[in-house]
Amino acid sequence: MTKELERKFSQELEKNQSIIHKICRSYTNSEAAHKDLFQEITIQLWRAYPKFRGDSKFSTWMYRVAFNTAISLYRKSKRTVQTTPIYDNLKELQFQDYDETHDKQLDLLYKAIQSLNDIEKALALLYLEDKNYKEIALTLGISEVNARVKMNRTKTKLKNILNP
Amino acid sequence: MEQLEQLKDVWKKQGESEIKFSGEDIYNMLHKKSSSIVKWILIISILEFVLPNLIYLVTDHDASRRIYENYGLTNITMIYTAIHVVFICVFIYIFYKNYKNISAESSVKGLLFDILKTRKTVKYYIYYNLTIAAIIGVHIFYIVFSSEAFLENIPKDINLITIWLIALSLLAIAIFVFWIFYRILYGILLKKLNKNYDNLLKNEC
Repeated sequence: MTKELERKFSQELEKNQSIIHKICRSYTNSEAAHKDLFQEITIQLWRAYPKFRGDSKFSTWMYRVAFNTAISLYRKSKRTVQTTPIYDNLKELQFQDYDETHDKQLDLLYKAIQSLNDIEKALALLYLEDKNYKEIALTLGISEVNARVKMNRTKTKLKNILNP
Repeated sequence: MEQLEQLKDVWKKQGESEIKFSGEDIYNMLHKKSSSIVKWILIISILEFVLPNLIYLVTDHDASRRIYENYGLTNITMIYTAIHVVFICVFIYIFYKNYKNISAESSVKGLLFDILKTRKTVKYYIYYNLTIAAIIGVHIFYIVFSSEAFLENIPKDINLITIWLIALSLLAIAIFVFWIFYRILYGILLKKLNKNYDNLLKNEC
């Protein structure tokens, strides 16, 4: 039975793994750390899986556990982000430069997110994923008012980083 | 902010991650060991519960009993031991209850709060230990320094106040060193969590 459940969970996670990769890429700055965080998130998801009753969507539930792992549970100093060199690169991402290749824009966007603090990273990701304030407040466990205030600050900060 | 809306397009158009795992890779990950901070908190907390009491195991019990009898400390040490055991049991029960509440499915704030609350139990346990050490220390000094066995053997050129001052200073230094050591350990372990919790609650009404 456990083996069967393990297979079912692995398949479900394989289909939905892109969400976790977005979080891993935002919270780490190397391939090794990315894989390490992915593994820790997978372990935490598997531990919580028996309690997942399907009240929320699998992806929403995954989001919550993945954020919690990245923000609170994961403990590796390797993932400390060096922000200084990033800012030089960011000068290249001016909004008018939209003829740049998509990959480069995406890469710079990730680097901008990486330079935010852990909570702002979560806010930036939730914003980019088009989540509404109610869901953002629920995921973070704060009031909607605070979520709005924090989101505005994060957006301003992100904008300043991208247009230095 | 309109410009930021454009970023959503960049975000949404991103394809599959360069790093990708097969179902088999994920299946193998399920059996790997977690490096979660909660695991470390549990290990360190158990050590903190056990270590202060380990000294009892390495004590020469016969020698201690002789000293207790000599200075009339037998009853008082028994009372303090009984109180201590009750406190340890209460602390361990609260710690276990808080620890069981920790769930990766909580909201970000809920999880941070639960982890910090669990650690707080250990923090209070350490503070309790330091306080009781100070109380017992002073009490035992008082009993010993007023006992005949002690007063008979004290050299005539040494003042009792000097002995009291030396004894209290040594006790204060020992407690202070232990407190500093604990603050550093506590700080290192929870630095990231405290920072994230503060960032999350800023402006919360």
